[in-house]
Amino acid sequence: MRIADKIRSAKYIWIFGLVFTLLSIAVPVILLIPKDTRAADDPWAVVPKKSPHTNHTDLLAGPFETGSEVTRACLECHPDAAQDLMQTVHWTWESKPYQLEGRDEPVTIGKKNSLNNFCLGIQSNWPSCTSCHAGYGWFDADFDFSVQENVDCLVCHDLSGGYVKGRGGLPVEGVDLLASAQSVGSPTRENCGSCHFNGGGGNAVKHGDMDQTLYFPSASLDIHMGGHDFQCIDCHQAQDHDIRGRAISVSLDRENQVACSDCHSENLHSDARINAHANAVACQTCHVPTGAVIEPTKMYWDWSTAGQDLPEDPHAYLKLKGSFVYESGFTPEYYWYKGAKDRYLFGDIIDPTQVTQINTLDGDISDPEAKIWPFKVHRGKQPYDAVYNYLLQPMTAGEGGFWDTFDWDIALRAGAEATNMAYSGEYGFAETEMYWSLSHMIAPADNALQCKSCHSSEGRLDWVALGYPGDPMQWGGRFSNTPR
Amino acid sequence: MTKLTCFLSSRPRGAYSVFAFSIALIAIFIITGSLAFAKSLDSGPAQISPIHPTFALLDESGENVLTSGKAVSTLQTCGACHDTDFIEQHSYHADLGLEDFSAPGDVTGGRSWDSSPGFFGKWNPLIYRYLSPQGDERIDLGTADWIKQLGSFHVGGGPAATARDGRPLTDLPVTSGDPETNVQDPHTGQLTAWDWERSGTVEMNCFLCHTPAPDNQARIDELQAGNFRWANTATLLQSGIVDRVNGAYQYRADAFTDDGLLDAEFVQIQDPTNDNCGQCHGLVHDTLREPVILSACSAEQWRTQTTGQIISPQRLSDSGLNLADKAKLTRSWDIHAERAVNCTDCHFSLNNPVYFQEAESSRPEHLIFDPRRLELGEYLYQPLHQFARGQSAQSTVSPDLKNTMRRCESCHDALSTHTWLPYQDRHMEVVSCETCHIPQMYSAAFQQYDWTVVTADVSPNTECRGLEPGGVNPMTSLVTGYQPILMPQTDVDGNSKIAPFNLITSWFWVYGNPERPVRQVDLASAWLEGDRYPAEIMAAFDQNGDGSLAESELVLDNQAKVDLITARLSQLGLENPRIVGEVQPYSINHTVAGGDWAIRDCQACHGNNSRVTQPILLSSYLPGDVLPEFVASSNTLNNGRMYQTEAGALYYQPLTRESNLYVLGHDSVAWVDLAGGLVFLGTMFGVVLHGGLRFFTSMRRPSHTPKLKKVYMYAVYERFWHWLQTFVILGLIFTGLVIHKPDAFGLFSFRYVVLVHNILAALLVINAGLSLFYHLVSGEIQQFLPRPLGFFDQAIVQARFYLRGIFKGDKHPFEKTPDKKLNPLQQVTYFAILNILLPLQIITGALMWGAQRWPNITNWLGGLPFLAPFHTLVAWLFAAFVVMHVYLTTTGHSPLASIQAMMLGWDEVEVYELTEEEAVS
Repeated sequence: MRIADKIRSAKYIWIFGLVFTLLSIAVPVILLIPKDTRAADDPWAVVPKKSPHTNHTDLLAGPFETGSEVTRACLECHPDAAQDLMQTVHWTWESKPYQLEGRDEPVTIGKKNSLNNFCLGIQSNWPSCTSCHAGYGWFDADFDFSVQENVDCLVCHDLSGGYVKGRGGLPVEGVDLLASAQSVGSPTRENCGSCHFNGGGGNAVKHGDMDQTLYFPSASLDIHMGGHDFQCIDCHQAQDHDIRGRAISVSLDRENQVACSDCHSENLHSDARINAHANAVACQTCHVPTGAVIEPTKMYWDWSTAGQDLPEDPHAYLKLKGSFVYESGFTPEYYWYKGAKDRYLFGDIIDPTQVTQINTLDGDISDPEAKIWPFKVHRGKQPYDAVYNYLLQPMTAGEGGFWDTFDWDIALRAGAEATNMAYSGEYGFAETEMYWSLSHMIAPADNALQCKSCHSSEGRLDWVALGYPGDPMQWGGRFSNTPR
Repeated sequence: MTKLTCFLSSRPRGAYSVFAFSIALIAIFIITGSLAFAKSLDSGPAQISPIHPTFALLDESGENVLTSGKAVSTLQTCGACHDTDFIEQHSYHADLGLEDFSAPGDVTGGRSWDSSPGFFGKWNPLIYRYLSPQGDERIDLGTADWIKQLGSFHVGGGPAATARDGRPLTDLPVTSGDPETNVQDPHTGQLTAWDWERSGTVEMNCFLCHTPAPDNQARIDELQAGNFRWANTATLLQSGIVDRVNGAYQYRADAFTDDGLLDAEFVQIQDPTNDNCGQCHGLVHDTLREPVILSACSAEQWRTQTTGQIISPQRLSDSGLNLADKAKLTRSWDIHAERAVNCTDCHFSLNNPVYFQEAESSRPEHLIFDPRRLELGEYLYQPLHQFARGQSAQSTVSPDLKNTMRRCESCHDALSTHTWLPYQDRHMEVVSCETCHIPQMYSAAFQQYDWTVVTADVSPNTECRGLEPGGVNPMTSLVTGYQPILMPQTDVDGNSKIAPFNLITSWFWVYGNPERPVRQVDLASAWLEGDRYPAEIMAAFDQNGDGSLAESELVLDNQAKVDLITARLSQLGLENPRIVGEVQPYSINHTVAGGDWAIRDCQACHGNNSRVTQPILLSSYLPGDVLPEFVASSNTLNNGRMYQTEAGALYYQPLTRESNLYVLGHDSVAWVDLAGGLVFLGTMFGVVLHGGLRFFTSMRRPSHTPKLKKVYMYAVYERFWHWLQTFVILGLIFTGLVIHKPDAFGLFSFRYVVLVHNILAALLVINAGLSLFYHLVSGEIQQFLPRPLGFFDQAIVQARFYLRGIFKGDKHPFEKTPDKKLNPLQQVTYFAILNILLPLQIITGALMWGAQRWPNITNWLGGLPFLAPFHTLVAWLFAAFVVMHVYLTTTGHSPLASIQAMMLGWDEVEVYELTEEEAVS
């Protein structure tokens, strides 16, 4: 009774009562209203916020005669920057030692010492090729990779648009280094693209999914760069100049990669059937339906026809380079892929009657980590040693190179010397192919592939070649009950 | 395996709704020759059977065509392994109503001049040509003419080979005036005999559906030319097996082996693909490569334009039509086509062992799935070419096959994907899937066919919906699309659901007794002289005097014009020509939108501008002022209203009440809202008046505080119950108001308000139930029961206090004690509220909610159309009660005293000296 009396006489007891009454209404309402079950996908939450731009106009006085002088000035306030960059592949052009499957010893490979089927290789051609090195003065094999002042800060950080690199990576005559230095900021597509869009000797030649159309893209060309003005570094984020991302042409390891799922949730489609595809199909397969959307890319490069005085057309034949086939709006080829498997290394024996793979893809239908990816496959004919049966890298640029003498023998001899390979004196041209995965020029979601793009008689996937007995729509997926 | 598992898990419901599988192929009326069907199929060998053996091509007499050089006979060729007689006998595609052919007017649901329920014998104003019955004086189409003109939409066999009495056509003796053995000269109207022996008949054409690239145009050309025997061979012209050189057919030697059999490379027998079906059944564009193109509102792809359905996996934004806002339309034309579902996956052969499932009605309860079925080889020997169909508005065709098709729910689990939808079951019961999943048609469709007039090339005056107004240019007019009208459709079980339709209204002349439609040749004679209009017609119709009749001038918009044409028709010998108008609904079941594009907004139907009662334009004018009537043979309930606007346009609007529907938020009973509103406002007014008077009178008299004592009046539980009830009822009234008039409260999400209303209602029931228990068990219920003895006297005393005494500052007539808290008026009011109105409201509300769970009980009480207005009326009364109740709580010794008492429990009451009477009781 006493407690009851106390309750009765408590003055503000009515507040308890009111709260309790309202809760007995609110709680059932909140609990029982079914929530909209759609997953909230908020990729913007993960996109890095950039720090505000610091105007360097008052911070750098100049004058600057050489690029290295600029670098020295940068290092005054950013003392670790050069050192950080020098640990990364943008500087070393070479991977860390990596054990490839099936090889005896780990290899370090990169642009510095590898072979492809485009311009073939940089060794002996350094002054030309290193115009895209993030450093100054790599004219020959003796370039000192430990000198901090040889780091080129401006190629990535110049925002004036007037910074151009030339032979050996030095700024060309006429570049206003002071203006360039004072303009520095966070890298834009123009910085990255000045090299990466022009690989292989010109705009749009190499990658198939990157070219100068990405400087000012429309949303339909690339939804991120066009629709949302993404810069490269929004996905290829960098920590201490260690830039995320791997290139199938020169990278071997699979760490620090960029993936769609970095920002987008895995099950973001409203349709469960489409979400189920994510187990076997990479995002790029449906969302990069076309390669080289606007500008044609090089699909075939036949070096064997080079050197002749035929009518020239940059998209068909050049005396320097040979004959090519360009294609725009091409349908990618599709293969199982989870990473690079092997890479052609100097000295690997080839069978000149077969097509040699410059790089091979790891993964197959029975590997749960492997998915179907879209590729540009670059095919071509390049020189090989007819006696030793390995691919040769010629000297092309510079005195004594093929572009000087138009003599394959001389060029191959010089190139073999630079690459430490024996040259028998007899050469031929072998067919090669190289896989380039496509991850850029991502179409807006509304233009992604539809079901019948693959699951129909006019579909773009060769089911049998991929290892399926037939269309998985009828046969079931690769890990379904149907025994094989 | 996925298709079988669909079936294993399906539990077909009792009521199947509409599906437009119309085997009645409606052909384009060919005058100048059509173009559309010439498109050869470009889909590759998608369904080609890899194990079909090679075979010889045989002619009618069973001889190898390589030897005889004659036309291929499909019955003999394919009949070597498949039972082609059986196939032809069991195929509505072939039969087209021939089996049910009867005297005109005997068809159930048909017109007085229809001879069969199918394409062969049922008249269609969109084609207009009439298959004349035996004995008619004026012959329009005979059988041979029918094959020539309309056989392009017929697979052969049936009426193209057999006469109406069952004999082969070639056995018929030529009789004059016999429609089966004569053809009509289109210009003179003269009949000439037709030599069936020479022309041959058309066998059921297997190649048309079962080869990947049939040459349909060549087949149509042969039919039109009258070379019926060669039509099936012509179908093979694209296959590399046969060539046509100078009109003669030559079989290519390189397509055959030395044994006279077809070379294996040329044996391309397949399951029908969508493209095969699309040769006749409307625009099918089963590729992503080329953009789909459709000439708007032209005779091409005629079958499509009855509704505008285009079956294509392509995105609308990728198509070649000039669609309004095209860039935003990133959905595919048809989600099933996008997902590679074939026509034959739903419209399967009825004895196909893959799809066959026993009908619900004969399935024993203990069996979900009967695995015993036809062996594959047996099926291939005798495949029924009766294909599953739904229950569309084209309901006279293949009537035996109605409702054989599995509906959406046999593959889709709608309940699991619609958890966001309140009243799922009720929606599914009343609304067909198509209503929300085909909310919009994006291409144009026919609206009106006016055969009361003819153009110079003897075509009707047509109107289309879905195009921007102004002149129609088939390629460049902006296609705005249209919203289909939603009408209730009854199924074989008698249940009805609303479904989307297009309505095509047609007007035409009929004459004579028995009624017949005026023949096209007679129309032409009445209207034209050669290919020009005679002076009489020009004088009457040429408004702007420019010497030609534009479409806008070709209108019978006054009696004089009608009389003129009537007279001209009568002059031709036609007895009593008159205008008839009919409205034909066309079901819309394809061009389904995926979930994101379906209707998800409740207020599309639950609001003032509800889709359910949205009118559709039938025609912009009324020829001869004749109101059209709905055809008798559709499954639809046509109980809406037809009305004309001032401009003369004719609209049709479905009415919910007529279909026994009550759409919350849209429907309401006017007098209920009026009466309820009046009561509410009246109470407000009364309260303001009474309160004002009290205020003024209290100002005018000296204040006097009576002797008070503090009494613990209301226990904790009572207060809790009271306030919970208060908030819940206020919430219910508010949410109920939003549900009743959602457009006035657009801020609120209809779906959430409905859910909150239901939750609050549940809380109310629980609260009321617990409280009733408390009051009964504790005996407090006594307080609420008015004592009959002396009740009226006491009530009057109390009433007098409220009407007079209170203004004079009198003491309350009855003492308020914890044992007796309520005065007589309160008792009777609360009794009514808590024991009459509240239970009624709860019951009607529960039944409204339970309309989906216990439809029988709900319907027995009148269904929603009765329960909902009742519920609304009681709600108004509750609202009025709230006003009155809150006001009357201010009649304590101070205005807020009673409210405070209900919050804190302690009340200050006036002290009464006990009278002798009270001391005793």
